[in-house]
Amino acid sequence: MAGTVALKRGGRWSPWLFAIPALGVYVAFLVYPALSSLWFSLTNWDGLSASYKFVGLSNYFKLPHDPVVVTAVKNNLIWTVVTIAVPTAIGLLLAIALNGKVRGKPILRLVFYTPAVLPLVSIASIWGWLYNPQYGAINSALRAIGLDGLAQAWLGQDSTALWAVMVPAIWLRTGFPMLLYLAALQGIPNELYEAATVDGATKWQQFWHITMPSLRPAHYIVLALSLIDSFKVFDLIYAMTYGGPGTSTQVMGTWMYFNVFQYYQAGYGTAIAVVITLVAIAVGIPYVRSQTREAS
Amino acid sequence: MNSFSRRGFLGLTSAAALGAGLSACTGGGTSTGGGATQSASNDLRLFTYEGDETIGLLKAQIKKFDAQNGTTTTVDSLPGSGAAVYPDKLRTELLGGKGPDIWRIWGGQIGSPFAKAKQALDLTPYYSKYGWDSKINTAAIGGMTFDGVKSGVPFVSLGIGAWYNKSLFAKAGVSAAPTTYAELEAVNDKLVAVGVTPCGLGGKYGWDIMRLFEYLLEHTAGPALHDKLLTGAESWDRPEVVEAFTLFKKWQDKKWLPQGALGLDPADIEPGYVQGKTAYTITGPWTEAAAILNAKKSPSAFGNFELPTGQKPARHSGFVEGYMINAKTGNADKAAALLDFIVQPATQKAMQISASTVKGAEPDPKALPLSAEWSQKYGSNPFYTIQDQAFPKKQADQYFSVQSDLLQGSVAPDAAKKMQDIVSAWAKS
Repeated sequence: MAGTVALKRGGRWSPWLFAIPALGVYVAFLVYPALSSLWFSLTNWDGLSASYKFVGLSNYFKLPHDPVVVTAVKNNLIWTVVTIAVPTAIGLLLAIALNGKVRGKPILRLVFYTPAVLPLVSIASIWGWLYNPQYGAINSALRAIGLDGLAQAWLGQDSTALWAVMVPAIWLRTGFPMLLYLAALQGIPNELYEAATVDGATKWQQFWHITMPSLRPAHYIVLALSLIDSFKVFDLIYAMTYGGPGTSTQVMGTWMYFNVFQYYQAGYGTAIAVVITLVAIAVGIPYVRSQTREAS
Repeated sequence: MNSFSRRGFLGLTSAAALGAGLSACTGGGTSTGGGATQSASNDLRLFTYEGDETIGLLKAQIKKFDAQNGTTTTVDSLPGSGAAVYPDKLRTELLGGKGPDIWRIWGGQIGSPFAKAKQALDLTPYYSKYGWDSKINTAAIGGMTFDGVKSGVPFVSLGIGAWYNKSLFAKAGVSAAPTTYAELEAVNDKLVAVGVTPCGLGGKYGWDIMRLFEYLLEHTAGPALHDKLLTGAESWDRPEVVEAFTLFKKWQDKKWLPQGALGLDPADIEPGYVQGKTAYTITGPWTEAAAILNAKKSPSAFGNFELPTGQKPARHSGFVEGYMINAKTGNADKAAALLDFIVQPATQKAMQISASTVKGAEPDPKALPLSAEWSQKYGSNPFYTIQDQAFPKKQADQYFSVQSDLLQGSVAPDAAKKMQDIVSAWAKS
């Protein structure tokens, strides 16, 4: 009762008063920097000088004429498709396997999820060594089994560098969908499978007609979050290939960084950042809407 | 709370996750620096990229300065980061906060942006006060002078040459360092014949493997033309450059470079000559402390030589490094006093600087015999600017991209045309 009275006293502003501290942090650390970035993308600021000029949308008009942007967009698309499809498929298979009667389930879960919590720079170093053309374990293993012809300079040639970086990305991104699917699988009532068995449905039919439809919300979350994650790829590329050889493994995230921090073209670099963010927002809107619909 | 509010909040929190993308991408709103002078104090902060093997020597000398001057100097280092990473960190510090009072930096186009943006103090008054013009190598001062403004104090002027493993040379039947380019090629062939990779360079960041190309360009173009090429005064679309590109490709095709050199990290492959994995590398005198002594090896097992160009004058690649003072520091006088202390011959000797810009601070033959030998033999030879300092980083990266495509066979040696496009666009800007 007392609470109700207090709420009435505060009127419809009460919830907002409670939200002010969190909103303050959000505005200071997200909204303001984002708007500043948006402003700088409309300038020719070099990222160091005290002065800059307003140049309107010219940084945005330059983007399609930048050959590295074309390469970066193409790489982002390849990266997105591969690092969503493969870890999701493997994660689903692992979840189904771990959902059955498997011994040592908690340990296996931990083993598959561990790469997801390792620092990315460590992962980059580990895989950098594995890929070393002369002394790396991958080429050594290939030579040991007589496949010398397949031993490559994995990170040292345009044709394989991006694919080579995607392997550790897949390795570390498999744990997340696996855990989500595992949780979702455990929520499917057993009675559905029992009824299907009585009706003579095969395991394959049960998978397609019971498991997959029941996993729809999990698919959606995995897809949306993986998609946003894929657009923000930066660290593995930066640490393993530095965008090279040449510019062959540049993605939008690394190219933004190079322009802002290394080429003293902060205006142009932030324009790239704005584009990345707009794409991520466009992709994220359906997810946000689904979450708010579910909550209400 | 009504349903609108609840949905609104959920929407806000979800949107926050997306908004984080933009603010994280760009580092957000920043002070654009300039003008605001900090208050004076006895506290100084020096930012450097000194390696673990030498940082103790620097700190010991700074402690000495502090004791004499009543200052407290904090030394922060980002070891092993190289010119590909350190300037980013420095820039972020300068924009995100007050930044260090003093920072170490390379000359040429790496230090230039800090001077042009007026983040670095004009040190002309201190050059007069301390007489640095007469104490420090004039050419080195030129490497830290931008648009006529002396923005840095160079303390080291480093020459790049070949540093080799004597036992691997002996294994290949090579008894003396090559004195002509043809001899160098013959040495490479002999090394490959006994299963040794000749030249250990890595292309991950571009700058390391570029040292080979700049040497080949000096060999084919000669000093006068090479210098004009670097300033855009001559076209790159010419036979001498095509020849240099052709030789560059030859080095890879004949396996004179490590397999997959383009993807190798210089930090991993450069010390290969000390570990016995490669016969030599192209580097500077710091390698004696950083690679040889650090690996507890005797310098007598190694040697160095100036890469033979067949040109007159004989030149090698080189660069300067020095210190700049923050234009916003409130401690400019104390910072300048510290720099003067650092460029004293005694301090330079105590810090085991292997290629000091100061007379009377030559490397000690007992402590650094190979550096002393390099200094005596080649130290007075002229040098051409190392190419990642000759061009702004963007152009240097584009330049390396051409070299990378060439080594992979996706462009022919007539890629000299591409280089001309890059350099002429830069020269115009």
